[in-house]
Amino acid sequence: MGLFSRGPAVTIDVSPAVVAPRQTVAVAVSTGRPIDKVTSATLEWGYTNFYRYHWAGRADSAMAGAGEALWMYDDVGTNVGGDRDADEWVSVTKVDLPCADGVFAGGSSAFRVPSWAPGSSPEIVRWSCRVIIERGGRDIDTHSEFAVRVGRGDVAADVGGSEVIMGGAETVISVDLVSPVFAAGELVRGIVRLTPTRDLPDGDLAVCWRKSRESHPLTRTPTPAGALDGPIIGLGKHIPLRAGAPVALRFEIALPVDAAPTASAVHSSMKWFVQARLFYAGLTAPMTERVLRPIVVVNGP
Amino acid sequence: MTAGQEPYSDEPAAPARGLTREERGRDISAAQAEAEAKPSTFKRMLASMSPRFVWSMAEGYPPVLKQFIQFCLVLIYPAWVFGVLAAALVYAVVYSVLWVIFWPARAWMKRNKPEEYAASQLK
Repeated sequence: MGLFSRGPAVTIDVSPAVVAPRQTVAVAVSTGRPIDKVTSATLEWGYTNFYRYHWAGRADSAMAGAGEALWMYDDVGTNVGGDRDADEWVSVTKVDLPCADGVFAGGSSAFRVPSWAPGSSPEIVRWSCRVIIERGGRDIDTHSEFAVRVGRGDVAADVGGSEVIMGGAETVISVDLVSPVFAAGELVRGIVRLTPTRDLPDGDLAVCWRKSRESHPLTRTPTPAGALDGPIIGLGKHIPLRAGAPVALRFEIALPVDAAPTASAVHSSMKWFVQARLFYAGLTAPMTERVLRPIVVVNGP
Repeated sequence: MTAGQEPYSDEPAAPARGLTREERGRDISAAQAEAEAKPSTFKRMLASMSPRFVWSMAEGYPPVLKQFIQFCLVLIYPAWVFGVLAAALVYAVVYSVLWVIFWPARAWMKRNKPEEYAASQLK
């Protein structure tokens, strides 16, 4: 091969392009012409994991706090500050491809997607088949993607109960759902039950979805979890909250059509919740109550 | 998905995940940890004026950048000390005013709720 000639082409053909956990995906690796001077040819099944990290410095130092304050003052929406987006390859299975006398001419493999596989989404993971050929000349590192769609039958339905994240629980708020598992774009249906522990001022109740992406890289310093709330849906104003008179209100929340599925990967995770918020009327009223109920969002049938 | 599922024998184990910021705990230098462990606000302010505390804010940065940040911290050190002293002065004035204003409330607490008063004096 000459100095300026193009490198040998490697084609990776993955089928099917969309799979569910426990299904098998096959790959055929072919080359335009045999590749010589090969020392090793490896095929890896895995995913590219997206996360955020604190790029340098102590994350909680006094100066980091000042940097965040300056960012809030002037540079919101930019990447000024200490946090950066990153991605990292996570290898799940490694296969050695045949390589006779230093010549690689192609190969094939099959992979059963694990039951614990996080669903594909641009925010957490992108599954792919990666071929790495180390050779005397320029190394080859190429990949082909496939999507993992997690369905209702692939997830655990037990996701835990409601959690109070704000307020003194003077009104016990419970969020009951038709099902804990929902598909992207689906309506989340349920009932919010308010049980006042004593006579309280009237309340305003609203619900919304909340998604939270947690970064937990193995080596780098993670950023704090980021949460995003969906549109607020008011369920009632001036609701009487009296001891011994519980109130139940039905709700429907539309999940985004492109909602990233609930997932737990090596460097980051995605969690979904239904949030209920109760304001009390009056200046001397108790503090606002907020409750989170975890749900599972899937991107498959 | 992941949680709560029994692994199948014919599939690889799920790789171990890392720790979140909350799970790791606070990421601060030894000098800052020492300063934050001081029992009173004035002692914490005094500790934060030490050159060791100020230099430690450059910890964790790559070489060259770390030395540049330390150089900048040397330049701003007089302003840092002045800022901490000014903050201590404001704190002392505001604390004194509030101490006088809330004298009746403290006296009432001391007389009627001595246990809660004693606990509040330990903070």
